[in-house]
Amino acid sequence: MNEVPQPRDESGLRIQELAYGLKVRDVMTSKIFTVTRRCTMWEVQTIMKSNGISGVPVVDGCHVVGIVSMHDIMVAIEGGYLDDTVASHMVSDVQTLSDEVPLTFAMSAFTKYSYRRFPVVNQNNELVGIVTPRNINLALIRELSRQLDEIEEGESQLIDKKITAFHRIYRLTRYDFEHAGRASAELKKELKARGVPSKVIRRAAIASYELEINVVAHSHGGTFTMLVDEGRVRITANDFGPGIPDVDAAMTEGFSTANDWIRSQGFGAGMGLPNVKRVSDEFEIQSGVEMGTMVKAIVYLKKGVD
Amino acid sequence: MNLKQIVEVLDATPLYAENGWESLKITEVFASDLISDILVSEGDDQLLLTSLTSPQVVRTAALIGATAIVLVHRRQAPPGMATVAREQAMPLFCGAVATYDACVLLGQLKERDQ
Repeated sequence: MNEVPQPRDESGLRIQELAYGLKVRDVMTSKIFTVTRRCTMWEVQTIMKSNGISGVPVVDGCHVVGIVSMHDIMVAIEGGYLDDTVASHMVSDVQTLSDEVPLTFAMSAFTKYSYRRFPVVNQNNELVGIVTPRNINLALIRELSRQLDEIEEGESQLIDKKITAFHRIYRLTRYDFEHAGRASAELKKELKARGVPSKVIRRAAIASYELEINVVAHSHGGTFTMLVDEGRVRITANDFGPGIPDVDAAMTEGFSTANDWIRSQGFGAGMGLPNVKRVSDEFEIQSGVEMGTMVKAIVYLKKGVD
Repeated sequence: MNLKQIVEVLDATPLYAENGWESLKITEVFASDLISDILVSEGDDQLLLTSLTSPQVVRTAALIGATAIVLVHRRQAPPGMATVAREQAMPLFCGAVATYDACVLLGQLKERDQ
């Protein structure tokens, strides 16, 4: 279990969808073995051997200052410096992951970097766990079987109660303006059929359309999910990067990174995300540079906010 | 105003229009070349004047429930645009005048109409 499913075309949309629903916090190992700078490489090697792990974070209090991997130990054995402290042989430029980001960000990180594990930190930058490809695979399998159980249990009930949830997942391709907007058109049709007030439909359609266009215009591609139940529309746009370096700026009206070609198509006014936020009852955005962006917008069907 | 009056005033030719388009009622006119602005424009029986010629304009107009689109300034629409217009059942015309002149002409028409 050394490979993680790539958050790209090779993995199924359903798998991606599972990964978007999970956060790194949900899948990481919280029981972690750490060492300080003063420990020896020999001690690290012993910890790895007796616990069956292949990497140990080096901490100063709660903060990660380095990491020692199996590779570092092997080099130490070769070089005969197992008695040295880890301070001089650890990798000190450590890439960490936030515990709050979607699992897909972690999947992207494993693709981008050659690391086999990432220390996970909380908002205060304190070490709270470690995530490996194995964690990801196990979590996806667990989630998949949980959902299958739910489907099996719930199917008959759903038919009985005539609860018809509308759930669609689309794949969006970079610069494919020809197809962008189709999901929104479908959403509009569905909401109309449900007798949703036209003002609410309009708000949902605006959020949906702007998000669809965003993925097509600004990302390397991604997925787009719509879920309509009795009370609300949930629209989720996930992409595989490049990520937004400054989310606050992106939320500012008029701020745009669109190129001339996108602008020539009538886009890139810098109103996309602000518009989505304005029309949504709930709005959430998360972005990791080189990892991806996730935007979730929820519009209540029953409460008119306009 | 109806669409026929508008099309005549703007000297526009149809790229796509179904039978009966002539009598479609137009109450408001929105002129813009920014998709985001078109998307949040609110108007009933709305006509969209634009110089954008991407199929996305048609989708956007359909999404907001616009009645018809007139391209200004004799913009050449790519064939894909008429195709999307057909899919969306969105009347699409190509007009000869520029945006400003089109707005003036439609303003006059609106006044005469009232």
